[in-house]
Amino acid sequence: MNLAWDDALWAAAALSVDPSGLRGVWLRAPHGPVRDNWLTELTRLHPSLRRLPGHADSERLLGGLDLGATLNAGRAVYQAGLLLQTSPTVLLLPMAERLPDDTAAILGQVLDQGQVTLGSSGMTQDSFIGVAALDEALEDEPPLAGGLQERLGIWLDLRSMGRSGGESEETRLVLDTLPELDMHALRAHALQLPVSDAQLTAMCQTAMALGVDSLRAPLAAIKLAKVMAALRGNDLVEDEDLGRAARLVITPRATRLPPPEEDQQEQPPPEPPEQDSPPEEPPTEATEPPQEPEPPAQEQDEPEFDPQHMAELMLEAALASLPADVLAQLAEGNKPAAAGRGQGRSGDRKMSFLRGTPMPPRPGNPRQGARLHVLATLNAAVPRQKLRRIPANSKARLAIRTEDFHVHRFAENSPTCLIFAIDASGSAALHRLAEAKGAVELLLAQSYARRDQVCVIGFRGTTAEVLLPPTKSLVRAKRSLSGLPGGGGTPLAKAIEQSLQVALAEKRLGHSPSLVMLSDGRPNVTLQGQGGRAQALEDALTLARQWRSHGLPAIWLDTSARPDPQAQQLAKEMGARYVPLPLANGSRMAQAVQAVQAGSAMPTVPSKLAPVWQKQAAPSTTPVWRNP
Amino acid sequence: MKLAIQIVAVDPKVGGVLALGDRGTGKSTAVRALADLLPPIQVVKGCRYGCDPGSSGGTCPDCAILKTGKKIATESKAVPVIDLPLGATEDRVVGALDLEQALSQGVKAFSPGLLAQANRGFLYIDEVNLLEDHLVDLLIDVAASGENVVEREGLSVRHPARFVLVGSGNPEEGELRPQLLDRFGLSVEVKTPQDLDQRVLVIKRRDAFERDPEAFREAYAADNEALRNHILKARKTLDKVVTGDDLLRTCAQLCQKLGTDGLRAELTLMRASRAYAAIQGKKTVTTAHLRAIAPLALRHRLRRNPLDDTGSGTRVQRALEEVLGA
Repeated sequence: MNLAWDDALWAAAALSVDPSGLRGVWLRAPHGPVRDNWLTELTRLHPSLRRLPGHADSERLLGGLDLGATLNAGRAVYQAGLLLQTSPTVLLLPMAERLPDDTAAILGQVLDQGQVTLGSSGMTQDSFIGVAALDEALEDEPPLAGGLQERLGIWLDLRSMGRSGGESEETRLVLDTLPELDMHALRAHALQLPVSDAQLTAMCQTAMALGVDSLRAPLAAIKLAKVMAALRGNDLVEDEDLGRAARLVITPRATRLPPPEEDQQEQPPPEPPEQDSPPEEPPTEATEPPQEPEPPAQEQDEPEFDPQHMAELMLEAALASLPADVLAQLAEGNKPAAAGRGQGRSGDRKMSFLRGTPMPPRPGNPRQGARLHVLATLNAAVPRQKLRRIPANSKARLAIRTEDFHVHRFAENSPTCLIFAIDASGSAALHRLAEAKGAVELLLAQSYARRDQVCVIGFRGTTAEVLLPPTKSLVRAKRSLSGLPGGGGTPLAKAIEQSLQVALAEKRLGHSPSLVMLSDGRPNVTLQGQGGRAQALEDALTLARQWRSHGLPAIWLDTSARPDPQAQQLAKEMGARYVPLPLANGSRMAQAVQAVQAGSAMPTVPSKLAPVWQKQAAPSTTPVWRNP
Repeated sequence: MKLAIQIVAVDPKVGGVLALGDRGTGKSTAVRALADLLPPIQVVKGCRYGCDPGSSGGTCPDCAILKTGKKIATESKAVPVIDLPLGATEDRVVGALDLEQALSQGVKAFSPGLLAQANRGFLYIDEVNLLEDHLVDLLIDVAASGENVVEREGLSVRHPARFVLVGSGNPEEGELRPQLLDRFGLSVEVKTPQDLDQRVLVIKRRDAFERDPEAFREAYAADNEALRNHILKARKTLDKVVTGDDLLRTCAQLCQKLGTDGLRAELTLMRASRAYAAIQGKKTVTTAHLRAIAPLALRHRLRRNPLDDTGSGTRVQRALEEVLGA
């Protein structure tokens, strides 16, 4: 039996019964047969499924004035929003990872309150929706917005599933009979099912043991268990239901492994973040699917069950569904959730229809989030009044046609992301690593003031790794920095490659990345991870040229003992500003960066960093020298 | 968190609460519960900004028309607790030209935004640390002046917007600008209870609520009522609570020691301690009250160095020991 697929089907069934109670499902899967099969099942079980276009604006979601109809009729015509569903409905959200933050916020609010506010009148109406968010994000891309993730009850991950099918006979039976059942009665039945204290305690214990802090998780799990018990036509919630609910709700949110207990010695204990240790193999018992958590027969006889024992059983069931790589990640102490996304301060300006500094209006249709600029529209309509005839039965005093429409335009600053690539190799570690760390901390403090995102990449030995994915949290940045050990070779080519990957990923998100490279520019490890200075330099130069071809801004802080022509050459190939800093201390280095910024533009506004660097994209001929 | 919300309920001048913590720790729930606890307010009937009938004049454009008549009709309304969603546009927040009237009748009219709705109530911002900067600027300005001035799209409107800012957010996801931090009177750190029994209790209550919302509300109605009366009583005694000069000196010393910017820290500290004393039914503010309030009122004002990660709570404690212990 394919346990994961079995669980996924149960999730679909439960969701189709009570979408608004469970709030929805976060389905992580690439486009493919597995996902299609799951969706087919869901559509069959829940025929009233609605699709929710990701680019829908708030008017379309919450309802509002229908402009075209209003103009034709000469009076206000309203349309109902998609989020207002008077009967329980699952809304399908394709490409959920690209969902704009504001739409996600609206969705989260409606899910939380179960109500939609109508217009500006403040009247609310109950809405019964659940969201099936289809997330196709790749490894290095940010997934669905965090606030929405949290609110969706069920988390399904079908990414590692090769093929669908293989559910148990019982599941098949439940699924086949479901469309004939009365959903309303089923929901009411599920709601009134009793849950014993021991069961509640066990669920909370499981959540705590796996480091799931949010109380929404156990709430959703209990609800899911009740729905599943009702689906099986049971009058009692049994361990089978609880275990399945825990696998679908609690386990995917796990942030740590449970504290090791006597019977689980094989579990890798959460180890201190040490870069080089390979992730330990997960315990075999955890990766092997299924032993069903508990034969339900025993359970019915003794409702006063020992909660401690029950919690262990549920924990086991929960662990059974953890995929191997998640275990490895957890053991390393990584949080699977991505850092927050938000709008930053400085960066490239891009045009927006929604927010930012106002720009002159231009003709266009108020669709896809663009707002109608009423004055400009009226201005455009006035000269043509003589040409147009107002219908006799209309109360309108002006004849406005679609060609008069003007929309608002705004210029929006896209957020900046500063990528720090820090050379922690032996040559640098000897004398300069501590100084470099100090400098980065000072730069971090500045970027805090500018609301930049920061990302830290460390390279030493044979690899370069992202110590901190782009984030605004300085506390995390500082923590990752202090945990960076020194020693080993200088894989400069790898470092540039890694930085380029991060930078391009940021660029895809509409951010403006720039690189601060702290290195002595003496590569001795090739791209393949082998020794050899000549080849290493060749690789580094190749990648430096690649960086330049993308036109991304960079600055090179030379950390070697004295200014080095080789580092200078590398910086030149990269199109980076070269700043040699003999005997730098942290604050002097930070001053130098400021000096570079101040050198070519507004000295009082440090937030204009990115444009300055872009000016420097052409190879600089006169490096800035600072006296030691 | 509970205490902080009660304090602002007693004295809105304290200036808002910032709740920081992970997701799913009940921040939003606590704030939304607030509306139930507060007594309804009297408003001018027909005024879209919910003005107080007792106040004279003011800047409200609706009242300017309504009050010219002989007698003002009043109605009672629940205290507004308005949600400001993360992705709200500026139009939605400050208000904009009324599209409907403009297009169908060609009339230039102002349709009030969230700030108008929140007047005399609470403005709740979830994930305040992810709020866009231009909205933050706007909020800071309005919160400071208590008045919303709209100059856009050919409109020129000013209306009162006095509200208590309540923000919540997760510090791991991004930090707040110091200017906005300073506007919040009190800050609390919310954590999920790490105690199993408490967690089970929360889940159980929620389950009971879903089973039978009516019965659940009734069961807690008495508690709510008691708390509401308590807050009302505290409000009445608030003016009579005495704050001694030596206590004010201690406040000032404390703030000096911690190097907080501006005088807002002292003012908030004093007001919040007074409200706390009123809640406890005391006539004078004592150092015990101060000691309880200081972490709430000062914690978020210390961030001089964003990279100093010693908990600011402990720094406040230390300063308290030094100042009060002596």
